[in-house]
Amino acid sequence: MIRTEEMLLNVGPQHPSTHGVFRLVIKIDGEMIIDAKPVIGYLHRGTEKIAENLQYTQIIPYTDRLDYLAAMTNNYVLCHAVETMMELDIPERAEYLRIITMELGRIASHLVWWGTYLLDLGATSPFLYAFREREMIINLLNEISGGRLTFNYMRVGGVKWDAPDGWIEKVKAFIPYMREQLAGYGDLVTGNEIFLNRVKGIGQYTKEEAMDYSLSGANLRCTGLAWDLRKSEPYSIYDRFSFEICTADTGDAWGRYQVRIQEIEQSLRILEQAVEQFPETGEVMGKVPKVIKPPKGEAFVRIESPRGEIGCYIASEGKKEPYRLKFRRPSFYNLQILPKLLVGQNMANLIAILGAIDIVLGEVDG
Amino acid sequence: MFGLAKGLKYTLKNMTRKKLTYDYPNEPLPLPDRFRGIQKFYPEKCIVCNQCANICPTDCITLTGKKHPDSSKRGKIIDTYDINFEICILCDLCTEVCPTEAIIMTNQFELAEYSRDELFKDLVWLDENDTQLRKENKA
Amino acid sequence: MIEGLLTSEATWLHFFIYFALTVLLLFIVLGFVTYAILAERKVMGFMQLRHGPNQVGGRWGLLQTVADVLKLLIKEDAIPRAADKPLFILAPLIAFTPAFMVLAIIPFTDRFQFADIGVGLLYYIAVSGITTVGVVTAGWASNNKYALMGAMRAAAQMISYEIPLVMSVIGVILLTGSMNLNDIVLAQENGWYILWQPIAFIVFFIAAVAELNRVPFDLAEAESELVAGYFVEYTGFRWAFFMLAEYVYMFAMSALITVVFLGGWLPLPYLGFIPGAVWFALKFMVVIFLLIWFRVTFPRIRADQLMEFGWKVLLPVAIANIFLTALLKEWINLF
Repeated sequence: MIRTEEMLLNVGPQHPSTHGVFRLVIKIDGEMIIDAKPVIGYLHRGTEKIAENLQYTQIIPYTDRLDYLAAMTNNYVLCHAVETMMELDIPERAEYLRIITMELGRIASHLVWWGTYLLDLGATSPFLYAFREREMIINLLNEISGGRLTFNYMRVGGVKWDAPDGWIEKVKAFIPYMREQLAGYGDLVTGNEIFLNRVKGIGQYTKEEAMDYSLSGANLRCTGLAWDLRKSEPYSIYDRFSFEICTADTGDAWGRYQVRIQEIEQSLRILEQAVEQFPETGEVMGKVPKVIKPPKGEAFVRIESPRGEIGCYIASEGKKEPYRLKFRRPSFYNLQILPKLLVGQNMANLIAILGAIDIVLGEVDG
Repeated sequence: MFGLAKGLKYTLKNMTRKKLTYDYPNEPLPLPDRFRGIQKFYPEKCIVCNQCANICPTDCITLTGKKHPDSSKRGKIIDTYDINFEICILCDLCTEVCPTEAIIMTNQFELAEYSRDELFKDLVWLDENDTQLRKENKA
Repeated sequence: MIEGLLTSEATWLHFFIYFALTVLLLFIVLGFVTYAILAERKVMGFMQLRHGPNQVGGRWGLLQTVADVLKLLIKEDAIPRAADKPLFILAPLIAFTPAFMVLAIIPFTDRFQFADIGVGLLYYIAVSGITTVGVVTAGWASNNKYALMGAMRAAAQMISYEIPLVMSVIGVILLTGSMNLNDIVLAQENGWYILWQPIAFIVFFIAAVAELNRVPFDLAEAESELVAGYFVEYTGFRWAFFMLAEYVYMFAMSALITVVFLGGWLPLPYLGFIPGAVWFALKFMVVIFLLIWFRVTFPRIRADQLMEFGWKVLLPVAIANIFLTALLKEWINLF
């Protein structure tokens, strides 16, 4: 009888496929995983604690650094929470600018996911193709906000800058271009048999399990549950646009892939309508008191970030700084299901499963 | 097999496409006017109101003022003004609050130094940093 | 010429001529490796909308690989303390020596071949298998879990794909009636074996890519899973030896595919005035380009699917091809 031993393997914190400093302690028998334990906190910066000593405007640059691939949605969730507490009115034009930048950010974030996921699966080229398109989005956002990654664009009561001349036209021109490229992505990856064999049936869970683990975003919608806060609980002016909630019914990595690719399409649809309806003139900053002091009380808002439901809870004592600020960071919650999915899989599937969850470590560790 | 062939066709088609990389260190990166780069400081415009130091999320600005040498005028003038670029996140909030536009952003972003101490920029350095200034500074 | 030298009188002069020719081949191979790496990076770059290396050695980066090799040579030779030191040092040698040994039997033109042995094809496949021993040794001696897993994958992959590789060329051997590579080339006067043995070519090509550990079969060094696989602990010139072995194999395997399926140095009809060496180089480059093209396009196959594919698809297809070829041969002989 051959005696075999289990092996303890540290995947990460420095590993090419953990997307940052995520550590996974796995027990393997051969290549089969029998136990997995995620270890997080290598990128913990204590954003929530730091925020307790900052004015609300000062917190906005910090939110950029949570989910650094979709900083616009993070900006928005904080501003939205403060605006909800202070019951501020946001000018029309500012709302549109917010929607356009957030949807551009969503596409950029999904593109990064698409590229890095394929990189995890061993294909090098999709990453560069995805970054070609992302670069265009980043340039657009750079033009409007002055930043390429940490935009710091939104403010309580509106947005910092109005769109520069010709910017809306550039967004308009980008939409058909992106559609065309998306078809190319389909040629390159979506029909590829090797890819399909890698993702189909991998990391499968049911709708009930997804809800038990409080998953959100594409991780939830891949099980067939049509839950997208942009539609289910419309915030901002999302109720003015017609778009669909993308779902898949497989609940596996392939489902998550399909959902995200479709979401790019739906975001393009929203963008198309938003640039069409974009008001010609108007303010981009509402009437906001000089010093932002939300009234005593608390508020919780949640919106749909590219990774799932991002929530912001503010407890205020009526001061310039929040008494307590808490972000519901979707990557952190989505990551919880990982150990359950990994048991019984092999090493190659580990990467496919982890990649499909789409975590951003800045957000997981907070 | 068909899917693999389509992928091969896609990559082959891209082979002759235009290259998208920047020839970066040889040619400067094209950046929009609003780009947030290293600040430029105008000592003569500064009224020592301390708003920039207060709004800075990372507390990287330290400044001191002194009495106006011309005793007939009121107010203060700037004495020292330092920005610690080790912790500055170029968030643009200091230029946003400045009432006199004494501090504005430039399009420069190259901050690599051999020593950490060199990242501590003082008034003179920030004053002399006067290329690629941002034209539009107030939204 | 070389054949004449081997059978001629054993004098110092003949020895030195022979030696000089082998050194010439060595430099051709090293030159090839240098520029194959560059070509790979350039083609990959172009397909990925980049320029690839363009700093060292002019616009085309012609000296980039030379600079890389120099850098590797002056790197510190680090051996992990917990590694099995003798094996750790031995492993790169075991891996790369067979890579050069197989070059001896490749007929580059009708005259430029170093050893014209009767079982050339078998020799190639047998000797190239030794490299896997070096890979497993490297993985074991590194005392690193990722390296060990990479080595195990390499061994499993080698065993699974060596068999369809051999099985697929049996069709060619049946048609030729010989395992001698010269005979195989000469038997293709009436049409290359890619036309007579398309199934064998496809199976052989897939198995060859797997043997070369290249995308989509690069499981042994799967960067995103195993960091770098079996050579994760190697640096400097020891690591360079593994890379050298890999690219020399790429050279040898492409040459073998050219010889066995693409008619070696034989010209296309009516174009006989172009020398055989040029034809060989052209066909050879097409194979290399294919390998690079695959690398740019495909994701990696999963380990268990790789085994399934090897045993359940490639092997039966290869065996069926043998029967088909045997039937065809009988049938053709009837007419």
